[in-house]
Amino acid sequence: MKINVEYLKRFVAFDLDDGALKELLAGIGLETAEMQSSGGETVLDIETTPNRPDWLSHYGIAREIAAKNARLRFTPMDLTAVPLPAAAGDFAIRIEDASDCRRYSGCIVRDLQVRESPPEVQRLLLSLGLRPINDIVDASNLVMMTCGQPLHIFDLEQLQGGQVRVRRARKGETLRLLDEREVALDERHLLIADASRPLALAGIMGGLASGISAGTRHVFIESACFEPVVIRLGAHALGLKTDASYRFERGMDAEATLPALQMALLLLSRSQGRALAPAFFQDVYPRPQSRPAIRLPKAFPAQLTGMEIPAAACAAILGRLGFRLGDEGDHWQVTPPSHRVDAEYKEDLVEEIARIHGYEHLQGEMPLSANPVLRVDRERVIVQRLKYQLADAGFNEVINYVFQAPEENLMADPHEAPLVLKNPLGRDFSVLKNSLLVGLLKNTAANANQGLERVALFEIGKAFAQYGGQVGESRRLAVSAYGLQQRKDWRLAAREFDFPWFKSQLAAVGRRLRLELDFRRQAHPLFSPHCSFAVEVAGRGCGWAGEVAAEPRRLSRLDRPVFAAELDLSALVAAAPESGFRPWNRFPAARRDFTFLMPTAVSYEELRAAVERLRPAALESYELTDVFRGDAVPAGQVSFSMGFTYRAGERTLTGEEVNAAHREFTGRLAAQLGLIQR
Amino acid sequence: MIDELKKEIEGARRSFGHELESIQSPEQLAALKERYLSRKKGVVSQFLARLKGCLPAEKPLAGQAINQFKEFVEAALSAAGAAGFAAAASGAWDDPSLPASELPVGRFHLIADIQGRIEDIFLQLGYEIAAGPEVERDEYNFTKLNFPEHHPARDEQDTFFLEGHDDLLLRTHTSPMQVRYMLGHRPPLKIISPGKAFRKDDPDSTHSPCFHQVEGLLVDRGIHFSHLKGTLEAFCRSFYGPDIVLRFRPGYFPFTEPSAEVDISCFLCAGRKTDCRVCKGTGWLEILGSGMVHPQVLRNCGIDPEEYSGFAFGMGIERVAMVKYGVPDLRLLYENDLRLLGQFG
Repeated sequence: MKINVEYLKRFVAFDLDDGALKELLAGIGLETAEMQSSGGETVLDIETTPNRPDWLSHYGIAREIAAKNARLRFTPMDLTAVPLPAAAGDFAIRIEDASDCRRYSGCIVRDLQVRESPPEVQRLLLSLGLRPINDIVDASNLVMMTCGQPLHIFDLEQLQGGQVRVRRARKGETLRLLDEREVALDERHLLIADASRPLALAGIMGGLASGISAGTRHVFIESACFEPVVIRLGAHALGLKTDASYRFERGMDAEATLPALQMALLLLSRSQGRALAPAFFQDVYPRPQSRPAIRLPKAFPAQLTGMEIPAAACAAILGRLGFRLGDEGDHWQVTPPSHRVDAEYKEDLVEEIARIHGYEHLQGEMPLSANPVLRVDRERVIVQRLKYQLADAGFNEVINYVFQAPEENLMADPHEAPLVLKNPLGRDFSVLKNSLLVGLLKNTAANANQGLERVALFEIGKAFAQYGGQVGESRRLAVSAYGLQQRKDWRLAAREFDFPWFKSQLAAVGRRLRLELDFRRQAHPLFSPHCSFAVEVAGRGCGWAGEVAAEPRRLSRLDRPVFAAELDLSALVAAAPESGFRPWNRFPAARRDFTFLMPTAVSYEELRAAVERLRPAALESYELTDVFRGDAVPAGQVSFSMGFTYRAGERTLTGEEVNAAHREFTGRLAAQLGLIQR
Repeated sequence: MIDELKKEIEGARRSFGHELESIQSPEQLAALKERYLSRKKGVVSQFLARLKGCLPAEKPLAGQAINQFKEFVEAALSAAGAAGFAAAASGAWDDPSLPASELPVGRFHLIADIQGRIEDIFLQLGYEIAAGPEVERDEYNFTKLNFPEHHPARDEQDTFFLEGHDDLLLRTHTSPMQVRYMLGHRPPLKIISPGKAFRKDDPDSTHSPCFHQVEGLLVDRGIHFSHLKGTLEAFCRSFYGPDIVLRFRPGYFPFTEPSAEVDISCFLCAGRKTDCRVCKGTGWLEILGSGMVHPQVLRNCGIDPEEYSGFAFGMGIERVAMVKYGVPDLRLLYENDLRLLGQFG
C-alpha cells in the first residue's frame, strides 16, 4: 500500500522525520518495504497483512498513528458540506440476493463536463502509482486511496431501464471489461446489470461500454460492500486481481459506503468548480451490520502477555483504536469499530493492546511448567547413527527437491502412475519422486562433470506413491558411489569403487541395526541386468542395490561405473531388534578350511544356498576367504577358499568329531554342486 | 659420597634419554655412543674412575649402580639402532614427516547439519521431535490452522496441489504438525517439528520451491507471550551467541494471536557497522515468526483455550545458512556441489 506522507499528514498531524515515521509504523506492525523521496515528497510502500483491509488507505494508517501517539488525533475529511438527501427518482437499485452484497449505495450526478483533475490531484495519484485519467475516474481512485472504499462510476446514459441490479450472471452471458477483455460468465460471477445486460463485474472491474468516456455527461456512482468470498471466487475464476477485488475479498466496512460517496461528490465539486448535488440517491442496506461485543476480562491482557499493563492503559489504547468499551466490573464489553473486520476474539483485543503498548516492553521468561514425559524418537537416533557411519565411510549427504520430471520417475519405475502436481513450476518439477535414485545420479553427474574423481553420496528423503485413492510417502536412504574409492598417493594404490566394496558398505549399514541384509538377484530398470539386486531383511523386500545400467549412465555422461542403492529407512528401523544381553558360547570353536574348484556357471548365491541347505548342526559360521582365477585354474572353473567354524552348544568338540562333520558336509556340498577339492 | 654419585648417575640417565630422542641419523647415534661408552672419556668410564675415591664399604653398591647405568645405555642404543637406523643402512627409508594419506571423510549437508544443531538445543530444553508428512491434508495445512477456505491469507502461501487429490497438497509450512500433535496428545505439549515445506516460488537467490523449517509448539496452563520470548532468547543465545538481543515486532499469522516477527541483534556487528555483510547496517536480522496459539486453533484440535494456552514459532533453515554461514545464494544449497558441501557439516 502506497502512502504519500504529506497527504497522510492531512489526516493526522504528526511531526516526525521519515526515519522516525518508519520506525513508529514498524513498531505497530506496519513494515515499510520501500521508501521513496522526490521533490520534497516521501512515499512509503507499506506491507499490509490480509487480516487488516482497513490498512489499505491513508485513513487506516492515520488511525494507527493516532492510536500509537496519544497526543495526536485522527481527523478525516470534513464532509458536512456534502449532504446526501434521500432523493428518489425514476431510478432504482436492487440487490437480488442479500448474501452477495451487504450494502449498495448509489447516486446520480448530472451535467458534468469530463475534464482533467487539478494538478495537485494528478500529482498525488501519480505518487501513489495511479495514472490520472479524468476528474471522474480520478475522484473514484482518490476516494479509494483516501478512505479505502472502492467506488465504481458508470456513464448513466449507457444504463438501460433506469435501474441497476446486483445479481449473479447467467451461463452464456458475456461482458467486455474495461481492459477490453471479453469474458464468458456463469453463476459464480456477481454482476452489476441494468434492466437487460451486464454492466460490470461487481467489486472487480467495470465494463467497457458503461465506462466514463470523454463525452460522458451524467454519471451513476456506486459505493457498495460486497461479500468477500463471492468477490474472491469470481476474481479467481477469471484470473483477475484488481485494487477493488483485493480490498473486497479482504472485507470492507459496510458503514463506509456513504462517507465515500460524499467524498466523491466533494472531489468532483472541486474539479467541476461548483457544488454538486445528487439528482438521485438510494442506500440499499438489507441487514445493517451489527458487531457482537467481545467480553474481555480485565486480567486477561496480563495473563496472555505476561506484561503488566494497567487496566486504564488497556482501555485507553482500545479507545484510541475506536473500540467502544462498556465497563462491567471485572471485565469490559468491547465493541469493535465497523472498519475492524478482523476483531473477533478477546485475544485479538490483547494483540491490539500489546501492539500499541509496545512489544519492546515484553520481558523474556522461561516457561517452567510444561514438562511432559519425553518420548524419544527411536528412528531419529538410529538414522543419526547411520548418517555418521556413512559420512565416516566417505559418503557426502545431499538434499534434493521432492519433485522431478515425469521421465525421471519412469526411469525408476516404468509402470507406475506418478503423483502429478496440478500447478508445477515447470515440467521438470511436475511429479513427486517415486525414488531418490535418479536425483542421486544427477548429483553424481553434476559433480563428476566438474572433474571430481570421487563422488560418493547419500540422501535421506521421502519417496511418494499412490495406492488407490491414497498417497503414501516412505522415508528412504539412497546411497551411490562413482569413481575413485581411494586416490593414489605415495603409499596407497588408486582403487576404483566396485560392487563388492559398495555391497560391504550396505551390509555395514544393516549390521549397524543388527540386521543381515540379503541381496537377491532381481531386475530393476535403473540397474544393469548383471548387477541388480533386491535387498531383503528376513525375506521382506526393503530396497534395491546394483550397478547403474549403461543407458542412464550414458544419459548422465558418466564414463565410469556408478553403484547405487535405495533402502526403505522406516522398514529397516522397524525391523531392527532392540539391544539385549545374550550369553555367548564359552566352549572353544574349531575351524576347518575348504579350498575347491567350482564351475563358473554356479554363482556364490547358489553355493551359499547349498551351504544353508546342508548345514551340519555344529556349523556355527562360515566365510569366503579367497576367490582365485588364474593360470593354475582350469578354464570354466573358479577356485574358492572357505573357512567353516564348528562349535557345539554344551561341550568341547573333539578333533575327530569336527573332521568327520566337515568331511561329510563338504563331500555332500561337492557332490551337489560339482566341486573339486584342491 | 655414594648418594652424590647416585644422584649424578640419575642426572646422566635423564640427559641420555633426551639426547637419544633427538637423534636423527646413524652418525648422530654413533657420536652418542662414543660420548657415553668410550673407554677413555665416556661418561660411564668417568663414573668408574671415581670408584677409587669411594669408601671400601660403599664400593660394591657404587659399582652396581654404574653397571646398571651402563647396561641401560647399551640396551637403549642397540634398540634405537635396530628400530631406526639399522634399516636405513640397507636402503629402506622411514620419514615420519611424509604426508598422511587422504582418507575420504564425508559430510552432512549444511541444511541437515543446521537442523541437527537446532534440534540438539531444543532437545536439551526438554522438547520432543515430531516429524510429519510432506503431502498434507488441506485441513491440517490450512483449515484447522484458522485459514478459512476462501481467505486471502491462503494466497500468501502459494501452494502446490496434487492432481486427482483435491484434499491434498504439499505442506506450505511445518505448522500442520502442530495440529497433528495436538489432535493426538494432551497438554502439556512441548515439541519441535523440523522438515521440508513447499511453496510455488521460482528458484532465485532467496527463494526455493522446496525449503526447510523448524516448527515449535508448547501448550500448557498459564503459558504467556513472555514465555515465548524467554524460550526464543534461550535458543538464540545458544545458537547465535550469548549476547544476542531479541526484538519482537507485531506480525500476522492466522494461527497465532498475538503474533510476532522476531529479529535478533546482528551477531556479527551488533549494529555497529553500517556496511555489515550480515545485517546490511540495520543491526537486526529477521529470523522467526511466532505467536500465541490462536484460541480457535486450540479449539479445532480439541484443546480448551479457556484452560490452556501455548506458543508456536517457526524458522527457516535456509535463512540460517545464508545469515549465519554467509551462503550467498539459496540455490547453491540444492545444487549439491561437493565443493560447497565439503565446507560444512
